[in-house]
Amino acid sequence: MRFNTLFILILIFTAGTRTSAQTWVVPDEQKAVVAPFKFTPDMQKQGEQIYLKNCQACHGLMGKDNWARLTPPPGDLSREKAQIQRDGEIFYRITTGKTPMPEFRNILSEEDRWWVVAYLRTFNPKYVQPNPVAKAAFTGRIVTLAMQYNDQMKKIVVTASEQLKDGQKGPAAGVEVVLFVKRYFGKMQVGDIRTTNAAGLALFEFPADLPGNKDGNVALTAMVNDPKGIMKTTPADAAFGIGVPTEKPGLTETRAWWSHRGQAPVWILLTYTLSVVIVWGFILYIVYSILQIRKLSKG
Amino acid sequence: MTMDDNKLTFDKITSDLTHHIRINKGFLIWMGFLTLSLLICLYAYSIQLKTGLGVAGIRDYITWGMYLANFVFFVAASLIGMLISAVLGLIGMKWLTPITRIAETIAVAFAAVAGLVIVSDMGRPERLAYVFIYGRPQSPILWDVTVITTYFVLSLLLLFLPMIADMAIIHRKVETLPSWLRPVYKVLSLNFTDQPAQNKIISRAIRILLILLIPAALSIHTVTSWLFAVTSRAGWDSTVFGPYFVSGAFVAGSAAVIIAMFFFRKNYKLQDYLTDMHFDKMGKVLATVSLVYLYFNINEFLVPGYKLKRADAIHLQELFAGKDALLFWAVQVGGLILPILFMLFRRFRKPLPILIISIAVLIAAWFKRYLIVIPTQEHPFLPIQHVPGNFIHYSPTLIETLISVAPFILVLIIITLISKFFPVIPLHETAQEKGIGHIKFD
Ligand code: HEC
Repeated sequence: MRFNTLFILILIFTAGTRTSAQTWVVPDEQKAVVAPFKFTPDMQKQGEQIYLKNCQACHGLMGKDNWARLTPPPGDLSREKAQIQRDGEIFYRITTGKTPMPEFRNILSEEDRWWVVAYLRTFNPKYVQPNPVAKAAFTGRIVTLAMQYNDQMKKIVVTASEQLKDGQKGPAAGVEVVLFVKRYFGKMQVGDIRTTNAAGLALFEFPADLPGNKDGNVALTAMVNDPKGIMKTTPADAAFGIGVPTEKPGLTETRAWWSHRGQAPVWILLTYTLSVVIVWGFILYIVYSILQIRKLSKG
Repeated sequence: MTMDDNKLTFDKITSDLTHHIRINKGFLIWMGFLTLSLLICLYAYSIQLKTGLGVAGIRDYITWGMYLANFVFFVAASLIGMLISAVLGLIGMKWLTPITRIAETIAVAFAAVAGLVIVSDMGRPERLAYVFIYGRPQSPILWDVTVITTYFVLSLLLLFLPMIADMAIIHRKVETLPSWLRPVYKVLSLNFTDQPAQNKIISRAIRILLILLIPAALSIHTVTSWLFAVTSRAGWDSTVFGPYFVSGAFVAGSAAVIIAMFFFRKNYKLQDYLTDMHFDKMGKVLATVSLVYLYFNINEFLVPGYKLKRADAIHLQELFAGKDALLFWAVQVGGLILPILFMLFRRFRKPLPILIISIAVLIAAWFKRYLIVIPTQEHPFLPIQHVPGNFIHYSPTLIETLISVAPFILVLIIITLISKFFPVIPLHETAQEKGIGHIKFD
């Protein structure tokens, strides 16, 4: 008995230290962030839809404490533990996520995320929204990419243009560009990152041995490398006939072990069917001859 | 034989081997007990049907739990029919005659129930037919259901054919027979009157069956082993899994036969037919198959243990010195090594000692299946992350345990019914072997 209590205490202690070691800290300046607009009932409604689609699978229905059994537990967001946090804190958590919670930075727009906060707050009668602070207008670079294949140079030419202060468009110099080629699953980077020159151009060599589709076409995507997210960028997509023409049947288009029933290897079909037919043929024969015993009786 | 063979008459043999065919109090109590236990287990199953497989301890990682271990065990135990009747029978071992039907009964009972065991692991059992309708001939699962069905039918026929003559004798000669049973035996006897033409049909059919039984039985357990071995998991990814499973099956089955022999001999007073010699011989059979099984065990652990690939190392560590070590060593030592050592001595092949050894072997055989199926799933190649604790460590629930007990009760019911209403020892064959000549059918 005493041992058990001790054991449980140790467990609680270690469990406690374990979670505290992984606490989810929100930087102070992020906590202070407030929504750029006043929450309206309409936004709360939109937020509810977003919540049901993106959050409810883990956090459950608000106020029902029926969250998914994950570690760490997601918890019910209508409860005090979530509601005592400031708007900026909640917003930050939705934006960044923490395993197993996904980051919603690229899934929900900033507006969407604020709408969810607006919805969450409807479960807190004591909540008073702090005064909104409108976001300063965007002052960073707005870059658009385009892509061509130059036959003479045998190179892919990516052109970066940007919006200038005076509203005109001009070449964007010094922009880092990454080139990807699409494959079965996801994308593969081609070559290194290139920086655009004064004319806004970045040149890429395309390897001679990469397979394309049966016409030799490969699908490419050029993107701006902007890990800090300080620009607004538009990637470029294009397809060129510069790959090695390859005709490979799909994985289930030929007979194989792994394929579906209609594509079973012939030898398996034959072996299986023959074995079944032969053995069950004998079984039927035996049943038939058993029935003969009755007929052979005298008297 | 303790009895003077000359004194054996046909009537004496008939009465010795059929006097138990009547409904007595002991039988009713035993069947009542079995039925009640079965009902309790079926209630547990009804909960699973209603609530879903979540009532069992299986989760996303350990998806094959006790049900699958049970399934492998049942398939294994059913294999004994093939060893006794087909392999040893075709070689022509005469001492087997009184044991063949016991072995076939066990084979039929376990094979019939093995199919049901797998249903206990299905979330939507009403879709069982889909296994056939949508089965892929590339999948060992389809082969498995095919061979198990086939083996069951073969075993049933092999149980029935030698019984035809017995039933002809019983419905004519046994006066003590309950009156309502007599017409049943008459129908089942197929008007057998010991005509040479009839005997010829029966013996030819039996020969065909015995020959078919060998590949069928080898396939059912080899294919069952492939359900595991075609997966690249530590502990399953093995090329000797087929013979490993088959030899293990013979161990479990021989033990089951010895246990059944003991109880039939005592309850149905068959001491003159199931003699110490039979127990001695079966003890030797069990020792032999256990040695073969030991050999495969050594292969299974020594070869991966020598190379110690990462996943194998984790698996073997858990078995040898980790969480499963106690069970593992109890099974290997108590269910394999010690029994082999004991069985080397004639003294331990007497009925009572060999019964105790067989019970230990059979229990160990069940836990061995558990150790083959479950531990490796707790260590998949991809790490397990961010899941509740009960996803990581499997422990069977009470409901799951009750559902796993049900097949055992079913097997006991089937064996009890077959042995109660038919001679446990082939009547006609025994009489013929004793040279008592032909039965006169009037
Ligand atoms: C995959 C499951 C999952 C999804 C989907 C998910 N979350 Fe979470 N969330 C969690 C988990 C788990 C935690 C706890 C993390 C921790 O404490 O380390 C959490 C924590 C939180 C917290 C902090 C709670 C607190 O008490 O401190 C907030 C706020 C939150 N989630 C909001 C959301 C919102 C809004 C959405 C939908 C846009 C969402 N989550 C979607 C799993 C999820």
